[in-house]
Amino acid sequence: MRERRFALALFLPAFVLLVATTTLPLIYLLWSSSQRIDLTMPWMSGTAGLENYAKLGGDTRFWQSLKLTLIYTGTTVVLQVLIGLGLALLVLQVRAGQAILRIGAILPIVLAPVVAGLFWRSLVLAPDFGILDFVTRALGLGSYNWLGDPQLALVSVIAIHTWQWTPFAFLVLLASLAALPPDLYEAARLDRAGPWQRFRHITLPLIRPAIVIVVILRMVTALSAFAAIFAATGGGPGSATEILNLYAYRLSFTELNIGYGAAVAAVLLLITLSVAFFLFALRRAR
Amino acid sequence: MKVDGGRRRTLAALGAFAGAPWIARYAHAQDLGAYQSAKINWRQAEGESITVAVIPAGYFDALEKVTPEFEALTGVRVRYDKVPPGQIRQKAILDLTAKSGTYATHAADPMYYDLYVSNKWIDPIENYLGDAKLTDAAWYKADDIIPAWRGANSVGNRLYGVPFDGESTLQIYRKDLYDAKGLKPADTLDDVAKNAKAIHDPNNRVWGAALRGFKGAGQNMYIYPSIFRGFGGNWFSGGALRVNSQEGVAALEWYVNLLSQYAPPAVRNWNWPDLADAFSQSTLGLYIDANTSASVLNNPERSKVLGKIGYARWPRGPSGKRVSSIWNWGFPINAALSEKAKRATWLFISWATSAETQARTSWKASGAAKRLGLNRLSLWQSKEFAALAGNLGTNFLPASIESMRDDLDVEWRPKMPQWPAVGETMATAIQAALVGQQKPKEALDEAQGRIAQILKG
Repeated sequence: MRERRFALALFLPAFVLLVATTTLPLIYLLWSSSQRIDLTMPWMSGTAGLENYAKLGGDTRFWQSLKLTLIYTGTTVVLQVLIGLGLALLVLQVRAGQAILRIGAILPIVLAPVVAGLFWRSLVLAPDFGILDFVTRALGLGSYNWLGDPQLALVSVIAIHTWQWTPFAFLVLLASLAALPPDLYEAARLDRAGPWQRFRHITLPLIRPAIVIVVILRMVTALSAFAAIFAATGGGPGSATEILNLYAYRLSFTELNIGYGAAVAAVLLLITLSVAFFLFALRRAR
Repeated sequence: MKVDGGRRRTLAALGAFAGAPWIARYAHAQDLGAYQSAKINWRQAEGESITVAVIPAGYFDALEKVTPEFEALTGVRVRYDKVPPGQIRQKAILDLTAKSGTYATHAADPMYYDLYVSNKWIDPIENYLGDAKLTDAAWYKADDIIPAWRGANSVGNRLYGVPFDGESTLQIYRKDLYDAKGLKPADTLDDVAKNAKAIHDPNNRVWGAALRGFKGAGQNMYIYPSIFRGFGGNWFSGGALRVNSQEGVAALEWYVNLLSQYAPPAVRNWNWPDLADAFSQSTLGLYIDANTSASVLNNPERSKVLGKIGYARWPRGPSGKRVSSIWNWGFPINAALSEKAKRATWLFISWATSAETQARTSWKASGAAKRLGLNRLSLWQSKEFAALAGNLGTNFLPASIESMRDDLDVEWRPKMPQWPAVGETMATAIQAALVGQQKPKEALDEAQGRIAQILKG
């Protein structure tokens, strides 16, 4: 009994803190989404019920940003896993200097996303002055307005996110590749399995749990991405890179329609939760 | 090195000996006379302390520098909170909605007064201006403050924020390039394109013209309204906001064409500092922006165009009107304050916006940075100011004065509480057109649809 009380005493402060900083704001968010709170029209305030959610149906900008969110999340996650896995397989062959490679790989991750966004915006992608523009001009490909053109801007923000977070996939996959038992490969080689067969039938199934974990974590990060895009394009040009998170922010804090902004944020929360649940279920199923 | 250090020490010693007592006297004794001639009791809110939110900018630094004089005059303590311009509106609104009274006053965007007033977050200024205990009307001369700025800060004919610093927009052009081609500064919008065409030479890194292209209510939606009004556009038709009128589309087409033909490609992401940099680096023939940029353009350390700058009023639009921006940073009074704190805040505002303090933060200021955006035309027309502003470039002072007298238009942007959402929607539409994501008409039609949805609630 005393031990349980002691355990409770240890657990309670953290629990209270967690509830106060995560659960309560979430409840407040859901409550706000059921209210008509538009600071620019205080005379309209009142209970909205599901009105804010019903409004989403006819809001083209919402659908546009939902589409962008899915494109952004899908492409960044696939790219991170593919590039991360490729790099990990490559580095596995390197015998000397692995430690340096690993440290180098961590560097982009430790940057604050807002710094990554600003760095790319002003040093890499700026027309005429940026490194990338310098390279494309030197190669005779011409100068591009990387963040000013709607399509290129979307490609650019995807590239920024992939650049920053691929090292994470790389490190996790490298660790699980390094832990694979060598005797399996020896047996396979005795059975004259080729490199592709060994990769397809031994490596991939064995590192599958690691890949799924990477996919889940990267998806959740990509869905909630904000700072890098905000710093690099502010959601623009026009609304070409305005993913749901930015749209919710813009609604709540620029347009001051707190109720509707909360509804958009709640939808994003729902999407993130269901994606995570689905993937975890997938992981358990096999 | 050694000699240098020695000299510095000697100077410091001299300063301590001679300078310090002089500065102390300057701040405390004789120099408050200009304020004490006002027939009010400056010490009526003694002991109060107030916090003022401003943006990090030279003109507010200048104010901060003379604030010890205010504290000596009134016994009110002032603390400044510097908030970047991108966040000051949100921080102020956060404070106002919470009614916490953190910011007694803040540097306010003129377009936000309708929102503030509809939520009853701020007090009408006339309560303070009309009270003889608080304001000596003959000394303060409120009517001297630029009328259109007061109009911009009014809701339903009542003033809600006192302009402290502001600007008008002017054509800023390269006089040397224009002279070489025998060009005159543009009189009409058509001339702007003609001049730009004559100067345009991107292979030698000179672009004909540029305007703010970055998305934002204070960026592209700072330039577009002037073009829109010049084309004869009216924001409201039959009491309802209408942004996709014929004039609106024509204005946006002009904006898109000028930038796509004669501006550097990156201009769609440029705000005023980027434009000022590009002009200082001698890569632009013309841009149209705040007259107060003149001090940046004349910075000898960074500018390659010293002595080559000319200024002219906004070009006329097809309607024959010249319409400048009407920007000013004003100070409102937070309604959530106690009575005494409100009085202290008013004393601060009337001190900061008085002719004397305006002068002390401008030509009378010590140091290199002397502010230009003074709030009274009488000051702009003074000899002392002319001496300060005379060497900023050809025609700076006449163009500034004429534009602030004749080109300011209170209907420049649609005044309404929903402005934050409307301004943002317009900024997005304008940028979509500028980058070619949508045709001007499409972009404005979509904006109109969205605005209808916003106004419905």
